[in-house]
Amino acid sequence: MSVQSSTAPAVESSPEGARPAPARRRRLLDFAEAYGLILLTIAVIAFFALLPASSDTFFTMANLRIVLVDQAVLMVVALAVLVPMVAGVWNFTPGAAAGMASIYAAQVGASSGSFALAALAGIAAGAVVGAVVAVLITTTKINSVIATFAMTIIIAGVVDLETGGNSIVSGLPRTFNTLGTGEVLGIPTLFWLAAIVAAVVHYLMRMTPFGRSLYATGANRQAAKLVGLRVERLTALALIVSGVLAGIAGVILLARSGAGNPTVGPGFTIPAFAAVFLGAVAVRPGQWNVGGLIAAIAFLGALNSGLTLAGAAASVSALASGLALLVGVGFANVFARQRGRQLETS
Amino acid sequence: MSTAPAARVSGVTKRFAGTLALDDVELEIAAGEIHALVGGNGSGKSTLIKILAGVHTADAGRLETPGGATDLRSATPALAEAAGFRFVHQAQSTFPELTVAENLSIGRGWETGPGKLISERRVRRRVEAVLERFHIDADPGAPLRTLGPAAQAMLTIARALQDQADSRAHVLVLDEPTAALPPAEVEILLAALRRYASDGTAVLFVSHRLDEVMEVADTVTALRDGRRTATKPRAELTHDELIELIAGRPVVPHVADTARLRGGATVLAAEAIGGGSVSDVSLTVGEGEIVGLTGLAGAGTSTLLRLLFGAQQRDCGTVAIDGRAVKPGSISDAIVAGMAFVPGDRATYGVFDSLTVAENLTAGGVGRYWRRGWVRGRQERRDVHAAFGRFLVRASSPEQPIAQLSGGNQQKVVMARWLSRPGRRLVLLDEPTQGIDVGAREELWSVVRRAAADGAGVIVASSMLEELADTCDRVLVMRRGRIVHEVRESPITVDRLIDRIHSVEVVS
Repeated sequence: MSVQSSTAPAVESSPEGARPAPARRRRLLDFAEAYGLILLTIAVIAFFALLPASSDTFFTMANLRIVLVDQAVLMVVALAVLVPMVAGVWNFTPGAAAGMASIYAAQVGASSGSFALAALAGIAAGAVVGAVVAVLITTTKINSVIATFAMTIIIAGVVDLETGGNSIVSGLPRTFNTLGTGEVLGIPTLFWLAAIVAAVVHYLMRMTPFGRSLYATGANRQAAKLVGLRVERLTALALIVSGVLAGIAGVILLARSGAGNPTVGPGFTIPAFAAVFLGAVAVRPGQWNVGGLIAAIAFLGALNSGLTLAGAAASVSALASGLALLVGVGFANVFARQRGRQLETS
Repeated sequence: MSTAPAARVSGVTKRFAGTLALDDVELEIAAGEIHALVGGNGSGKSTLIKILAGVHTADAGRLETPGGATDLRSATPALAEAAGFRFVHQAQSTFPELTVAENLSIGRGWETGPGKLISERRVRRRVEAVLERFHIDADPGAPLRTLGPAAQAMLTIARALQDQADSRAHVLVLDEPTAALPPAEVEILLAALRRYASDGTAVLFVSHRLDEVMEVADTVTALRDGRRTATKPRAELTHDELIELIAGRPVVPHVADTARLRGGATVLAAEAIGGGSVSDVSLTVGEGEIVGLTGLAGAGTSTLLRLLFGAQQRDCGTVAIDGRAVKPGSISDAIVAGMAFVPGDRATYGVFDSLTVAENLTAGGVGRYWRRGWVRGRQERRDVHAAFGRFLVRASSPEQPIAQLSGGNQQKVVMARWLSRPGRRLVLLDEPTQGIDVGAREELWSVVRRAAADGAGVIVASSMLEELADTCDRVLVMRRGRIVHEVRESPITVDRLIDRIHSVEVVS
């Protein structure tokens, strides 16, 4: 409607001169759509802070620390899901790759005693997974869902081979412990680390030609080719970035738990996808975006922690997260359709 | 004409966003006749068909069939079907991998035996009867893709009509049924249509191919600018009269644009290029020159543009811009050399639907704003605002989602994406005004003219003949992948173009 206003005089379309009202309503809708999830997160926090069953423990520094550290790993795994998703590629490996990275970091750390070498080994393991997936998808044209799904199974096999199913508990460099329990300004160091990674990814996606080209590739691959973008190379790069992020997530995971556990990694994949999907309805609705992802992780973290502290069973927490995802994406679709209709009638 | 109309349509009016697409149109189709509906692009043909199909509702209009009357203001696909209309669209909705019998049963249902299991025997019996009735020589168990193109088209028709015991009770509507067929197959299909009509079926036949219309139709209705210009028995028409009905009044002579640079230095030199449906095409384009490219559907105009740009691998030939050879099949090399390509089918190949107007405008060229580790947003926005002015884009802000813009404005953004990029030497445009309302079309052409005035060479493939006649310095006519005519006399007229497009002799 506003599109046409500069050509046709407004008189024609608004006999009662009621033009500003729909514009204001639309701006309100825009705002509600973009920041609804953040407002809802605040509401959830307020609810559990006031609810008698959880009010004692929910709003304490101790709980905040637990939540923040828990969400740090999830955040980085979710970023690893998000980057290729922007280019239209599904990557199921980040959870498993993070698990594998933590195992290799633990092994190298235990044998060399060096934190730097251990961290490097973890990140390198993630990057290798990303590179293998990139080669698979771009050369054989296997559907990304299938290719990365198969890779998660292979990674699980590799991890089992390396560890025999046993955790690596002894000999880790002390720095892991310092990192895992340390705080800066009263906030866990691992959370700061995840925040920095998120900021870097946000910069990469929104402020570099690489990120902008990835969005174009994901929006319309054919058109992206025709404007001269090398979509295969961009896709491959996105997967390698994703692998590096999974590697970083693995190092954070190792620092948090203090042991290389061969089973925990894959468990992050589904929650990470849930956060990425839910994040696409917030901040920049309709796009995979880092801001929305942060909002989604905050929301899911607050919800889960509150429910746990209020004494709800773990199953309730899972139900609530799943429902939140369905309701969030459902609302986003309704919003989008309403706009479509507004446009058609204008 | 038969005394019993199978369908009578009257007073159909339809308005789209201020444009009158159909203005009080009448159409009477008799049982047993082939009624051709002809007209140029934008004449209202497809709108009329869509209203008959119930895809669009009319603003006014009535449909009368032997079964009763329908108000076309409340047209729906179900009402169209109840009124006896059966549609076969150009985009075929068949399943090539499934068998003939399966194709004839899907959507209709299968004969079942005991226990609701499909009875192969009974299905086969029905399918054989249908194949015989529609004169299709095929085995029910053969995959559809093994049939010839005409037989596949006939099968689509058979599928639409198979459950009509009385062939007089319905109207078969065919939208460009021969567009994708090779010449030999066209004959088979036209013969089949004549047989169906002689069985009493009323056939409404939409076609661009006037020689086919002259060959097969009993009655011709021509539309132009949403109005019916005539309905006449074909026997009373000559080929030239038919062209005149479509083109309408004598075309206003083209006034040469003296301000434009013409025939300057050669920008594009393409030598004997071939690939896909295109073979052995050579052409040159000079600085400031606008060259039109036209032909019937499937003539290869789009393919030629894609070959030049490298969006499709060329098998042979050379392409040079300003004397510098361009690698085959390399879009990046074409862009570096100075080519720009505005693809046809904007939604599939042009627009990034989920991105903003600004992101669409600078797509592929973001590198220009990348300085010291940052994409310079302010400079990008300034350029986008400047492009809004220069390319007449109407958007509320650079951050507006492009999906909210009208088709014409989206197309301007796609054009601006290329034309605002520095150093464009050759601009390739594929059907730039397709699906765009009249007002925006003229603006798009003014943008094209300005690109030429700035010294770029322009090749524009279009089936909008009037627009080509108004804008181009010369027009190349293609047929079956080759350039067969060059129309360069001044003024270029629509009649001349139609004549060249439909003429049979080949000059190479």
